[in-house]
Amino acid sequence: MPLHPQTPNREDLDQTWTYLEQGISKIMNDLQQGMDMKAYMGIYTAVHNFCTSQKAVNSSSTSLHHQGGVHRGAHLLGEDLYNNLIQYLSTHLAGLKEQSGQYADEALLGFYIREWDRYTTAAKYINHLFRYLNRHWVKREMDEGKKNIYDVYTLHLVRWKIDLFDSVQKNVMDGVLKLVEKQRNGETIETAMVKSIVDSFVSLGLDENDSSKSTLEVYREYFEKPFLEVTNTYYQLESKQFVAENSVVEYMKKAETRLSEEEGRVHVYLHPDIMVPLMKTCQRVLIQEHKTLLHDEFQVLLNNDRQDDLKRMYNLLSRITDGLEPLRTKFEAHVRKAGLEAIEKVANENADEALEPKVYVDALLEVHEKYSSLVKIAFKEDTEFVRSLDNACREFVNRNKVCKAASSKSPELLAKYADSLLKKSAKAAEEADLESKLDSIMTVFKYVEDKDVFQKFYSRMLAKRLVHATSASDDAETSMIGKLKDACGFEYTNKLQRMFQDMQISKDLNDSYKEFLTNNLDEETLKTTVDFSIQVLGTSFWPLTPPNTPFNIPQVITRTYDRFQNFYFQKHSGRKLNWLWHLCKGDVKATFAKSSKVPFTFHVSTYQMAILLMFNDATSYSYKDIEATTGLSRDYLDPSLSVFVKAKVLNIDPPTSKVGPGTTLSLNTDFKSKKIRVNLNMAIRAEQKQETEDTHKTIEEDRKLLMQSAIVRIMKSRKVLKHQVLVVETIAQIKSRFTPKVPDIKKCIDILLEKEYLERLDGEKLKYLA
Amino acid sequence: MAVIKLLSSDNVEIPVEKDVAERSVLIKNMMEDIGGHIDDAIPIPNVNEAVLRKVIEWCEHHKSDPAPPTDEDSDSRKKSTDIEEWDQKFMQVDQEMLFEIILAANYLDIKPLLDVGCKTVANMIKGKSPEEIRKTFNIQNDFTPEEEDQIRRENEWAEDR
Repeated sequence: MPLHPQTPNREDLDQTWTYLEQGISKIMNDLQQGMDMKAYMGIYTAVHNFCTSQKAVNSSSTSLHHQGGVHRGAHLLGEDLYNNLIQYLSTHLAGLKEQSGQYADEALLGFYIREWDRYTTAAKYINHLFRYLNRHWVKREMDEGKKNIYDVYTLHLVRWKIDLFDSVQKNVMDGVLKLVEKQRNGETIETAMVKSIVDSFVSLGLDENDSSKSTLEVYREYFEKPFLEVTNTYYQLESKQFVAENSVVEYMKKAETRLSEEEGRVHVYLHPDIMVPLMKTCQRVLIQEHKTLLHDEFQVLLNNDRQDDLKRMYNLLSRITDGLEPLRTKFEAHVRKAGLEAIEKVANENADEALEPKVYVDALLEVHEKYSSLVKIAFKEDTEFVRSLDNACREFVNRNKVCKAASSKSPELLAKYADSLLKKSAKAAEEADLESKLDSIMTVFKYVEDKDVFQKFYSRMLAKRLVHATSASDDAETSMIGKLKDACGFEYTNKLQRMFQDMQISKDLNDSYKEFLTNNLDEETLKTTVDFSIQVLGTSFWPLTPPNTPFNIPQVITRTYDRFQNFYFQKHSGRKLNWLWHLCKGDVKATFAKSSKVPFTFHVSTYQMAILLMFNDATSYSYKDIEATTGLSRDYLDPSLSVFVKAKVLNIDPPTSKVGPGTTLSLNTDFKSKKIRVNLNMAIRAEQKQETEDTHKTIEEDRKLLMQSAIVRIMKSRKVLKHQVLVVETIAQIKSRFTPKVPDIKKCIDILLEKEYLERLDGEKLKYLA
Repeated sequence: MAVIKLLSSDNVEIPVEKDVAERSVLIKNMMEDIGGHIDDAIPIPNVNEAVLRKVIEWCEHHKSDPAPPTDEDSDSRKKSTDIEEWDQKFMQVDQEMLFEIILAANYLDIKPLLDVGCKTVANMIKGKSPEEIRKTFNIQNDFTPEEEDQIRRENEWAEDR
């Protein structure tokens, strides 16, 4: 047995081709039998030898040219081999085509895949064996720009496409589509088959300009297109029938399943390229064509709180364009209605009494909480839905039954609720709990339009908490102010922060005053001075008004009063101190009661202190006497006395009559109390009511100033502006605080015209006067 | 390291490391395609022992070279006639052997070796007159004076001036 393969005469084409064809045929048909090295090397060598022979004994034109010798570069042999190979492949494929006629459907798929595998494997071998041809003759032809010349592997694919694929692809595709339909109907199929077909179709897409690249053209035309058409028809039929027989919710589940099935199909056995068009097709048939049905069902789901189904609906409709818009509109209307109803309910339940701020705010929050969690869970926090939620909340926070009289009711109640949280109380909230409650206040605050009203009430109540030292926690106060600052900016909270500063300064002031006393008074005098502490607060930062009643300062404290004034004016000359007696308080030791050996301590207002101190000199006074000595107006005197009478510190004569002129008040030496410390410093109702009124009044004043300053600011930078434009810009500037009314702005413009800040020009124009 | 055997055209078995042999794309593809049984010597019908050994020597030395750039027109490969030192020495053989190596490299599909061979020949031609070239390669001038004239005219544009 010869060690080397027997190769044909290198110069004889027929002999060479006969030899090669034998080998190729073996590779094509019997490769599973294996191939030995000798045959392999034989074929390679035969191709090499033929291509490198000096003169081919053949009538082909190439040899003639070669003899001519006037060629650019060396002439390369190989065209004959190439053409013979084409011939061979065509014949082979024609045979396959004929065989394929015996098969249909799955059997055809099996045949196609089997032959494809065999053919492409052979192509890979033959490509290697003809590598010499590829490297030289084919390369040269391609370099010279010849069309329809391919490397040997690609040539195999090209021939497959022309000689077999074009005539069998339709039948093959029919088989594929039947298989897929079976699977859609719930049967199990051999998905690998479809995958092989897809791969084959993809391989056949050749780039005309560069055969080393592939395109998806063949696949798109012969696979994708029919696949999508069939999918469309299938789901059109199915969904129509399903909708007729089932509920919308059931349909949504079905559509959801179908969509994810199709997606899975792509991952398992289709080409990833089909994902987008396939999903588009499915979405059109399964969602788009049924969207009215879904839209109509939305309200029902909302009414019944069907979160899961709402989520499903959102997911489906978010896949198509404009699918969500109708939902948004309905959602917004629904939330607004829910908010209004919730407030109406609490308003009706509490119709007889003043509405508790907490009840009101809780009602607002409950609605917000419910729907914001729905947005989160069902609508994926879609920004459009968040906006709808905000719109709806803004509506029902500012315009509901409680706010009917004035839209400023909402911020007022909100501020009062904040006060109730921040004030010391028996059921003080836990730190973390408090923080989250403050956050929820901010949630409502965000929607409040009259933010200036909130600011007014908040600062008043903060002032009170600070002055009366009833704030539950400094940390909580600071945190709340921080939140407001984050929401509205530095300017909004400036005064609030200054109030805190004043408290700190006052603390230091008290310390240095004490020091001043120790340094300047002898020990005897020190012992007899009244215990005293004071808060000195900047008038412009604190929403406090001086007392509106005259008051004669009782003797006992005049010395302290004078001493402190001296001290303070020494420190800060040119300042003025207003004493807010109605906010002051003190403790008085009472030794008159016979029932107790330990003296009682009465916790009283300064006014009450002035009254009690009179009883050091006598045990009984007429109302007139008291009025004259204290100098208090009846608005303050009567309630102060009533507290004493009610607590039985004083007896009234005639008994059971109302405090007033003509009565006599005397010390009740039989006074009894279980506690040693008695708080008699009750807030005076008249004061409270008036305060709310005052607050609203100052808001109006402040708003006028705010509008005027905005107008001046705008005019200062623009110099000349149309009336209409000025109004629009003013609204834009002020909107973050409150929503100004156009007539009010016009009034402010008139005021500024009068004050000659502005001047009227022709054509509705205004000019700024520096 | 797997060792395979190559069989030269004059029937000498030469053992060679698989990696080294696979510098030849022909052998590499064949191993890939046929796989498995490589106990038999691989017949190389077109290369005799002396040349095959020379080729193997080159492959041995270059076995860990990085794969050549796949870009066919890569400048560095085409433009320069630079040859690294080892290869220069390697190519110091008689003309007969040099051409045999080139043919073998072409047959066995060892592109870098083919390049080195061709560059060596190119360097032998560079700077020589036709007469000198003929002498170098022992070529008989088979042009008639007319033919020679015509060629000169056709190639005038390329002359150094």
